[in-house]
Amino acid sequence: MIRLERTIGIVLRVGVVASSISLAVGVILAFLNAPGAQLLLHVGVVTLLATPVARVIASIADYAGERDWTFVALTAIVLVELLGSVAAALVFNRRL
Amino acid sequence: MPLVTPTLALIIFAVGAASGSLGALLGIGGGVFLVPFLNLVLRLPFPVAAAISLTTVIATSSSVSAGRTGKQLINMRLGMLLEVATAGGSLLGGVTAQMLAQSTVQKAFGVVAAIVAFITLTRLQRRNVILDPGIDPGVLGGRYHEDESGGTVTYRVKRLPLALVASFIAGNVSSLLGIGGGVIKVPVLNAWCGIPLRAAAATSAFMIGVTATTGAVIYYGTGQLVPSLAAAAVLGVQLGSWGGMRFGQRTSAKWLKILMAAVLIVVSFVMFTAGTR
Repeated sequence: MIRLERTIGIVLRVGVVASSISLAVGVILAFLNAPGAQLLLHVGVVTLLATPVARVIASIADYAGERDWTFVALTAIVLVELLGSVAAALVFNRRL
Repeated sequence: MPLVTPTLALIIFAVGAASGSLGALLGIGGGVFLVPFLNLVLRLPFPVAAAISLTTVIATSSSVSAGRTGKQLINMRLGMLLEVATAGGSLLGGVTAQMLAQSTVQKAFGVVAAIVAFITLTRLQRRNVILDPGIDPGVLGGRYHEDESGGTVTYRVKRLPLALVASFIAGNVSSLLGIGGGVIKVPVLNAWCGIPLRAAAATSAFMIGVTATTGAVIYYGTGQLVPSLAAAAVLGVQLGSWGGMRFGQRTSAKWLKILMAAVLIVVSFVMFTAGTR
């Protein structure tokens, strides 16, 4: 249980720091009309969105390691719901 | 899509900082203030405003929860179980948001803001549930060390179906309106489900990252999540909540809550009126 908290803490911290850095650099580059700004901004947003997903995947792995199948199943449902929103996003994506 | 200018980004950064620090002082997310400002003052379409707000919810949830891990204040098992309901509600809300007219969503926001104002006012005196230290926390309950009292707080989870229903509604409202949904979950978990306020708030803050992501991904797919504006808001909120937590943690928040309820009633009225025009 303590180990899971520690793992989740690391995943969240890495995700927040990485996305904040790319968003900050992206915004500054956008102000300067420099190339690569849009790419960095998208990388920052995707990293931000991927952080909770990574946290859910880490939880599934940890519960599986503890053979806590009830929570493996529950957390897997959460992952399926997250993937469901990705599927919905693709359906709604008017740019495709 | 709105034209992104440096001025617009700077305004959003400043508003993000203000709502982030207010959110940290009040122990709520700032989305309930950020969304109306973006939608009504800056005239961004409602889904664009909601998407920007949701990204700030994810950032706040992740950074606040990262700082709290290891203290066992976050009830991870309960959080993961309730996430099944919030993520489901959020997925439904995100899909619904694409089908509703802006006026309908504005009216819904007006109603929810009024409810939040009411909850805030009725809970001014509420401190905590009475706890029996001898109880067995069970599978979903928890145990954490409280610094102020120096003791260990143990609690059991009561009325789980109610917690699940509240989480589903909170998730639904979250992705539709662009707020975290903690203002709905935390009072229910605390008042009826036996969870101490601090554990309820920490667990809710932990959950809303997943809830908001489920909604935000859909807005990203539809192109309604504008990365540059989201970046300005996220950086502003991060700065604001850092400042709010650093300088305002020990200030009495009672008058601030009354002020917030008053502002929310105005927001509710203005949003509802905007929706009926």
